[in-house]
Amino acid sequence: MRLQLRPPLGRLAAFAGAAFCVSALLVAPARATQDAAARLTLFREPSSANAGISVVHPQLDLGTTLGPDFHLAAGYEVDIVSGATPSVYRVDAVSTATKFSDTRHQVHGALAYQRPTSAWSFGYSYGWESDYRSSAVTGTTTSDLLDHNFTVGLSYTHNFDRVCDANNSNIGDQPLDLKPLTLSAHCFGGEADVTTHKLAIDTFQPSLSWTATPKLLLQLGSTIQILDGFQSNPYRRVLVGMQSRTPQERLPQFRQRYAVFARAVYALPAVRASGLFMARLYEDTWAVQAATGEVVLNKYFGPGLLATVRGRYHVQSGASFYRDARGYLELGPGGQYWTGDRELSPMSNYLTGGKLAFIRHPGQERSSWYVDMELDAKYELLIYHLDSPDAPNADRARAHIVQGAFSLRF
Amino acid sequence: MSISKVVPILAVACALLGGCSTARWTVKPHQRELLADRIMQPDGNAQETAADDHVLSNREGAIGGSGTSGGGCGCN
Repeated sequence: MRLQLRPPLGRLAAFAGAAFCVSALLVAPARATQDAAARLTLFREPSSANAGISVVHPQLDLGTTLGPDFHLAAGYEVDIVSGATPSVYRVDAVSTATKFSDTRHQVHGALAYQRPTSAWSFGYSYGWESDYRSSAVTGTTTSDLLDHNFTVGLSYTHNFDRVCDANNSNIGDQPLDLKPLTLSAHCFGGEADVTTHKLAIDTFQPSLSWTATPKLLLQLGSTIQILDGFQSNPYRRVLVGMQSRTPQERLPQFRQRYAVFARAVYALPAVRASGLFMARLYEDTWAVQAATGEVVLNKYFGPGLLATVRGRYHVQSGASFYRDARGYLELGPGGQYWTGDRELSPMSNYLTGGKLAFIRHPGQERSSWYVDMELDAKYELLIYHLDSPDAPNADRARAHIVQGAFSLRF
Repeated sequence: MSISKVVPILAVACALLGGCSTARWTVKPHQRELLADRIMQPDGNAQETAADDHVLSNREGAIGGSGTSGGGCGCN
């Protein structure tokens, strides 16, 4: 992926939308409540053989109330990705890793309408990078039932995404001849050597929350996602068979993904703490099955310090067409698809870490220009366990995630 | 058990839980002090949840589990 600096019309429209949202925030009534939150995430996945992967991810979100019932929000975030990755997925691929860098931008805005027992919100986001464009619309509704003891929620998102790819229109029905995209410089510019594929994503997320007792909140939910379009990494190649063929990664056009989860939050008022427990099951039409469990413990220390500890475990099977690099070399593809994506391999990971939040509320007895402010510092360690030394990214066994954030409500 | 079988079971369980909830079982407004605290909100910080989901969804084959924003203690 290469950085490209060219402003397409979609990006100008996104800037116009962001400017509108910011203008609305600035002209909001003086008695409205405003909120601002800035966050910086640093992700570092070191490699035993090359430069590994680094991601810098700043986020800025602004919001304001508009009268008693409406809330307007806008935000901007960036992913600055750099590092080294093999261009061909094969045995001992790490020794052939090449450097790359890319930047993804995203702007988003949302308008929410809230009544005493229900709420609706509508949002739009636009993301762009040198080889990918993403537009998404989201609608969310929640409704409280039975004296606020149950909350039913439903969220729906539709993505209109576009992916740049090498023009492979001349290969006919010979997928082993698929050429990868080598440069993004011509993407979305109408050049003949590249083409644009569509990817439509529909995501439904129903949920039901139950206030079971004054100390216990339970939640059940589901995620259903349907993807239709080009889902391969256009740059990635896979060494398939003993004839040294290295076609572009090839994934099915359709994917349906299903997840169910349950969460419980329990209060421990005697020690000013709470515990959150989450379990999730996942399955999709590419035969990936997964189970995830998570525990989060929160505890206050004094009037303004909140400590959080988090532990998480995830285990999954591989996609039906996945093989490790040696398997693709010696056995060839498992059907008409091949991949070098770690996400589609059998694996597990552990995540553990913690956060300190410094919270400041002015006392009710004196007036202040702000309602509350918060400063966060967070560190988490993600450890991967792959099932083969020839699995994708086997040289990157762990990742460090560092986060700092500041938020203010006034 | 596949998820396509789990979903209907969960739906029935939710319906039964809803049908069984009587006034005797409900939590009154004056009992919600603990539930209103930020540490009782599963997705209390939307920006942090989005950042965490962004990191993990790009490194795992699974999605979901972070709920629908807005659900919670009914403290509005």
